[in-house]
Amino acid sequence: MSPAQRILARFLADRPALAALAVLVALTMAALGAPWLAQDPEALDLAAMLTAPSWDHPLGTDELGRDVLARLLHGGRVSLAVAGATAGLAALLGTLIGLLSGTLGGRVDAGLMRLTDGVMALPLLPLLIVLAAIDPAKLGLSAEALNSEGFAIGRIVVIVALVGWTQVARLVRAETLSVQARDHVRAARAIGAGPVRVMLRHILPDVASPVIVATTLSVGHVILIESALSFLGLGVRPPLASWGNMLTGAVGTVASAPTLALWPGLAILVTVLAVNRAGDGLQRALDQRSRD
Amino acid sequence: MIRLLALLSLLLLAAPARAKDDLVIGITQYPVTLHPGIESMLAKTYVLAMARRPLTAYGPDWKLICMLCETLPTIDNKLAVPEKTADGKQGVALTYTLRADSVWADGTPVSTDDVLFTWEVGRHPQSGIANAELYRRILKIEAKDKRTFVLHLDRLTFDYNAINDFALLPAHVEKKRFQAAPAEYRNRTAYDQDSANPGLYNGPYRITQAVQGSHIVLEPNSHWKGTKAAFARIVVKTVENTPALEANLLSGGIDMIPGELGLPLDQAIAFAKRADPRFAITYKSSLVYEHLDANLSVPMLTDLRLRQALMYATDRAAISKQLFDGRQPVAHTAVNPLDGVHADDVPKYSFDPAKAARLLDEAGWTLQGNLRRNAKGEPLYIELATTAGNRTRELVAQVLQAQWKKLGIDLRIRTEPPRVLFGQTLTQRRFPGLVMYAWYSAPESVPRTTLHSSQIPAEANAWAGQNYPGYKNPRMDQLLDAIEVELDRPKRVELWRQLQHLYAEELPALPLFFRADTFILPKALKGVTPTGHQDPSTLWIETWRWG
Amino acid sequence: MGVILARLGQSAVVLLVMSFVIYGLMGLMPGDPIDLMIAADPHLTAADAVRLKALYGLDRPWTERYLRWLAQIGRGELGYSRLFARPVLDILAPAVANTALLMVASLALALMVALPLGIWAASRPGGWIDRAANLLAFVSVSVPTFWLGLMLMVLFAVQLGWLPAGGMHSLDDGGGGLVDRLRHLVLPTLTLAIAGTGQYIRHMRAAMLEQAGLDYIRTAIAKGCGPTRVLLHHQLRNAAIPVTTIVALEVGGLFSGALITETVFAWPGMGRLIFEAVMGNDFNLALSGLLLATAMTLAGSILADLAYAWLDPRVRRR
Repeated sequence: MSPAQRILARFLADRPALAALAVLVALTMAALGAPWLAQDPEALDLAAMLTAPSWDHPLGTDELGRDVLARLLHGGRVSLAVAGATAGLAALLGTLIGLLSGTLGGRVDAGLMRLTDGVMALPLLPLLIVLAAIDPAKLGLSAEALNSEGFAIGRIVVIVALVGWTQVARLVRAETLSVQARDHVRAARAIGAGPVRVMLRHILPDVASPVIVATTLSVGHVILIESALSFLGLGVRPPLASWGNMLTGAVGTVASAPTLALWPGLAILVTVLAVNRAGDGLQRALDQRSRD
Repeated sequence: MIRLLALLSLLLLAAPARAKDDLVIGITQYPVTLHPGIESMLAKTYVLAMARRPLTAYGPDWKLICMLCETLPTIDNKLAVPEKTADGKQGVALTYTLRADSVWADGTPVSTDDVLFTWEVGRHPQSGIANAELYRRILKIEAKDKRTFVLHLDRLTFDYNAINDFALLPAHVEKKRFQAAPAEYRNRTAYDQDSANPGLYNGPYRITQAVQGSHIVLEPNSHWKGTKAAFARIVVKTVENTPALEANLLSGGIDMIPGELGLPLDQAIAFAKRADPRFAITYKSSLVYEHLDANLSVPMLTDLRLRQALMYATDRAAISKQLFDGRQPVAHTAVNPLDGVHADDVPKYSFDPAKAARLLDEAGWTLQGNLRRNAKGEPLYIELATTAGNRTRELVAQVLQAQWKKLGIDLRIRTEPPRVLFGQTLTQRRFPGLVMYAWYSAPESVPRTTLHSSQIPAEANAWAGQNYPGYKNPRMDQLLDAIEVELDRPKRVELWRQLQHLYAEELPALPLFFRADTFILPKALKGVTPTGHQDPSTLWIETWRWG
Repeated sequence: MGVILARLGQSAVVLLVMSFVIYGLMGLMPGDPIDLMIAADPHLTAADAVRLKALYGLDRPWTERYLRWLAQIGRGELGYSRLFARPVLDILAPAVANTALLMVASLALALMVALPLGIWAASRPGGWIDRAANLLAFVSVSVPTFWLGLMLMVLFAVQLGWLPAGGMHSLDDGGGGLVDRLRHLVLPTLTLAIAGTGQYIRHMRAAMLEQAGLDYIRTAIAKGCGPTRVLLHHQLRNAAIPVTTIVALEVGGLFSGALITETVFAWPGMGRLIFEAVMGNDFNLALSGLLLATAMTLAGSILADLAYAWLDPRVRRR
């Protein structure tokens, strides 16, 4: 068996991880297919506010008589897109900086690590608040672009990724340093392998697992950050639905309409659980040392 | 170990019973400064009204009354005398006499020394006083004796005797602090440096403790001569998050949530529907006027037919009924029905989609597919900006979007944090369509700053004025000028009627609702009278008591 | 020693750059508190606005104001808070104390649960304890803090009536005794601890397993070391490296990151203060608060590096 096949086999043997992946795929498909699967999430009916589940509205309606299922699916599109894009962007930035820092050492390392320290030392929430309040029109974007849904999402992705890459960078650097001290890397160096080759063949595979753990966790983390920003009135803004702003909106009336808070809360919980469990499985499958 | 844990949890979980001679009020904002003139803020007004009395104020019946003075000066009772100012304009001299029983809580009587000192602070350019308009209008103050003073104003308006903004400062406490360094006064004032100093307060209660960001404690003023204060202590607690505020009420952490700074309406209505037997709920329609400003510099919106169509396309009655349980009355102009100068016979825009469609067709916006377009093929696309985090507005905006969509209008909602919206979007007239927000005002407050053509903010006048739509009508300017100086009430009411008609016909702004404040009070608490205007219910706190 | 001094020097540079960036970002935020005041009060005239802006220096360009602020800091003065009209230190000190209390309590609680659980879970990967710990960790990192806080409040304060819903102490008898303060501390601590414990469990477990797979552990086992001795003496010592790093780095974040919990439980701490100061354009207060929070994180990071060097002989050698 090739290493890839072995990894796949190990992953397939991990039932809970497989189930989590299935849940995740189903959620993603449902979110992607929202425009075809669900009704118009913005169509409202003031005469049918806060109704119980029915054939027309499988999860009932919200405080404006909109279909909760439709909003949940469309909100999922936004939340998953934000989380995936942010975690991916942050991991990419972090890995690159961590690898460079760890392998090149010297002044590059010192400079990059001071940058990392600086960004990491920035108090996350207050900084996000400042960034979210900045007027994007000052950055020279056209009014058309500012009003698109893509911008609303992209803004949060960039803001969170800009401050979110540091953990990965540090983990990767630490791991790189540790790996470099190991015999097989030193041996590779001794027989004349170039730095790029060492980086790709020996270090990258070894740092992959901490990156995966961190990225998995950060996917969930970003969904939570988005909901926290929504709570402060700075997240994805209505009428665009996200799980975060649906939950925030529902919390005020949780005593009289508990299911409104239940569904987005459950969606966040299940998604983050599934992402984490699937990532965990992947980590185990990738990590050869734990089984061989 | 287990026993220890059990003991510990018993200790921790046993809720202590609270004494009943105190009152804990929960509000959503902490007053950042306690100085009455620096920084204008609702939470501060609310708290200070328990501890300080203004010279004049609007009563719960929206009529002007004397609080610290003996008689309201009027031209009839000869205490107000019209006079010519030095530069030949029409001014007025007003004679006020301080009540003999008004005393600062350290025993010092309130005197004309305080009046003169307050004016000195008020007109000093570096004192940091926020609203200095009244002090600018005062030409001279003469102290006749310790209690009587004459105020010379540079103009004679119909509300000449309302000096609500004259926030009396205690000269015996503050004078030294101010005169030492006027420019540093805002950082040296005893209201913030020494908040518990009884000499700062002359109301039924005085502040005895202020814990930054958490709570303010008030205790009875032993020198208060009016109705005796009923509570040994009043605590005003700040809980910014409204679901948490509600939880505090339900768990007994606070006794009441006032309407001035309480729950958003949808949360309050949900609370009311559960009919908790411990609480009585009062709704009070207020002067807070929710409306849409239309940018009249945008060609599309200058067309009155389009603005009228938007009004006919909006089912405000249904929104009020479904979203606000009928508590938030539909507005037809900027003047509240509870206001004495309200006119009921103005044109009203009830929900009429057919009429809206006709008006849109006439204006050249014809339906093509799902969307209306003009002759050039441009879509009828309107942007609505509003404050992020204001849930009621976000809900209303989404209803408008859905209702207008049925008529082929593409409304895009953009929510901005208040500081962004009020910072530049609105004040520099950068909004490309509509803005939803509210005006707070006093009874019979003349909307000069929002409707007069001289009040349109522009680069040239350093963005002064609050006529954000950019509304220009000589007739409106005339009416505003005339109302201000018309002393005869019936004549003034007629001018107000004309103003409201003009407003409803021309729609400088699209009226939506008058906000309703929800007071959630314990059943046993008596004597709370919501006012609905900017003078809070706490101005009459000495009448509050456990029944 | 020299290394530490160098790090301190670098931290000072980071702080300086930070202050500039934050000042600039706040300067880029549109609008200022005077505009907000006008929006709330139509009686405030444009003349008032111009006068107030000049008085607070808001009419000057932000670079000029920044330099002035820097000079003021150079003289050792934090200045006055514009919002609260009091010296910045007077406002900051109680908030720091309140937050520190919350931080220590919740970190202690989170670690008390997470460390033993992580070690235990790693000792038998796949066992029921591992699964339970895993589930706990997942749930902990999957719950939005504000939702968790409100639910705990609804349960323990509203439904059961066992604990107070917010504030730091009750207002009877001059502020309540120790027990009263502890009662108020329970719910916010629990909220923060639940939200924080998951990642510690995961990191502890992952670090322990990582070590378990390494050659030296296998060598130690082959040489006949007992499992407990291997676990505590070899594995734990090395597993502590990443976990210590994470904890040290978290400390600074907690300092300003408890904003949501503080808001929900009306806890007058740093997070809320910084939020208010930033939103109210109170530059003196916001910068002092943010820089303090940053300094805490930098200190945490230096501590993490020190711990790293102390615990991992390979790094020391480099």
